Amino acid sequence: MKGTNLFLKIFTILVFLFLYSPIIVMVVFSFNESKSIGVFTNFSLRWYEKVINNPEVWKALFNSFWVGAVVTIVSLILGLMMAMAVTRYSFSGKSILESLILIPVIIPEIAEALSLLIMYIFLNIPLGPVTVIIGHVAFCISYVTIVMRARMAGYDRSIEEAARTLGANEFQTFFKITLPTLYPAILAAGLLAFTLSFDDLIKTLFTTGPGFKTLPLVVWSSAARGGVSPELNSLSSFALSISFLFAVFRLRVERRLER
Amino acid sequence: MSDVFSVELENIVKRFGNVVAVDHVNLKIRENEFFSLLGPSGCGKTTTLRIIAGLEEPDEGVVRIYGEDVTDVPTHKRNIGMVFQHLALFPHMNVFENIAFGLKMRKVQKEEIKKRVKEILEIVKLEGLEYRRVNQLSGGQQQRVALARALVIEPEVLLLDEPLGALDLKIRQHMMVELKNIQRKVKTTFIYVTHDQTEAMTMSDRIAIMKDGKIQQVGTPLEIYYRPSNTFVASFIGEAVNLIEGEVVENGLVDTSLGTIHCAGSLTKGRVAVMVRPEMVEIGDKLYNVDNLFRGTVQSIIFKGSYIEYRVDVEGNTFVIHKHGSAELGRLHHLGDIVEIGWKKNSSIIIPI
Repeated sequence: MKGTNLFLKIFTILVFLFLYSPIIVMVVFSFNESKSIGVFTNFSLRWYEKVINNPEVWKALFNSFWVGAVVTIVSLILGLMMAMAVTRYSFSGKSILESLILIPVIIPEIAEALSLLIMYIFLNIPLGPVTVIIGHVAFCISYVTIVMRARMAGYDRSIEEAARTLGANEFQTFFKITLPTLYPAILAAGLLAFTLSFDDLIKTLFTTGPGFKTLPLVVWSSAARGGVSPELNSLSSFALSISFLFAVFRLRVERRLER
Repeated sequence: MSDVFSVELENIVKRFGNVVAVDHVNLKIRENEFFSLLGPSGCGKTTTLRIIAGLEEPDEGVVRIYGEDVTDVPTHKRNIGMVFQHLALFPHMNVFENIAFGLKMRKVQKEEIKKRVKEILEIVKLEGLEYRRVNQLSGGQQQRVALARALVIEPEVLLLDEPLGALDLKIRQHMMVELKNIQRKVKTTFIYVTHDQTEAMTMSDRIAIMKDGKIQQVGTPLEIYYRPSNTFVASFIGEAVNLIEGEVVENGLVDTSLGTIHCAGSLTKGRVAVMVRPEMVEIGDKLYNVDNLFRGTVQSIIFKGSYIEYRVDVEGNTFVIHKHGSAELGRLHHLGDIVEIGWKKNSSIIIPI
């Protein structure tokens, strides 16, 4: 028994090492003074200084935030409506709809990105922030719907009926009862949508217009321009830490939701 | 008793697909009455209640509250209160906010809300718990919050859907008495749905027995127990019942496989069932002063506390007999004993089949 236990421990550690060592290496070398990627010489924040003094990074960060915020709000509204429709009503074509909503989760992102781009060109829509947002919303709705649907499947509707018997009309019931009781799920779904939008590269790359860059795009173009450099390391670590914060926040919310 | 009807149902029909959940139900419920809808699960009693609340739309028929046709009035505009089976307290609000919700919807002034919540908390005996979260309360306390929330809006009718179902037996028994007291205090019509005959019997002024969407009988608890209108009601109500089929030969005389049975007078003719409640049947070695007398063998003896339940076989028919209150609770009769059983003619009721 004890032997197996030790084996399991070592195995688990190895798996996590495998998963995280590239990230650890990247973060460690972002603090390297030397310009060389291979050898760690001295601890230094000079690359971070460079990143922080780069106005392009700040502009991209700002873009990422507001795109993420708009995407989150739009996909929350649409996803919530979708989840309510499929959990509360029966209508013809419901099962088809339920499968369709899963497709953005399943199909390769590159295919989705390409088809979006083709559609924009076909419809003659100028590329820019709007097309990026539409592209993000198109797949974030799916995730929001999935999270909300799971939560609403076990929703006890008698509290809504109770509100109705107490004199609340349908709007009052929705805003005073339904929304507040779904709040943790909405928060979790919203954070998920935001993180997905914030981290997205491929779709943004395909659907953005000239001059409009999000943070992952800056990382990408800097890598494409100059190859791997310590500055890129610190830039990536910077982007990573922001996403990481959101992920931690989301997990905490989800844990509270399970309770 | 009041001649004003708080709720009237006229020919209510409700179908779910091919199932007729409520089948031409007619009811007139009096003002300030404690009225129960009693029946096995799936009999349509909850659907009937939800139709009164407006949470379910009837396919046919008319609902009236104090004479006014409310069939097409939405729930939030009917002046009703409802206590739900699983209480349906608002989990994101405390006790005060839960109770105040209905008043807020009615745009009552803040001070007035405070006053009325305080009053109702006194009635349901929850003073001092205003700012507790509802999930910190015990089952019985949550029950009272649900009740207070529905009562504080001073509804014309209070609808209760098996509200005691989730409670332990002891608290349930206590709440039954409490509910009845509260009803007397607030003077409102209570319509109470339950499958538990003890609850219905304990609290109700009148009971409607339902089965398969149809009303079987409406009457006081006594009427329903002693004068059931059909064999379903006879066997559904009470712990046990003795039913013997036969043919009416003459007023009060029924010819059965056991011979002629003397019954209370009845206008019913043709094939009938004779009903005798277990506690009306006497058992002994030798019986006198009974109108119907049979001889049988003791099949089983169960000590039930305040009484002993005997099952006695008479020519292939099993009689259930409840023998109460003898000073010596030692077994009077033993398994296999030949005994006499009998009852007075007024104890056997003729029921049409």
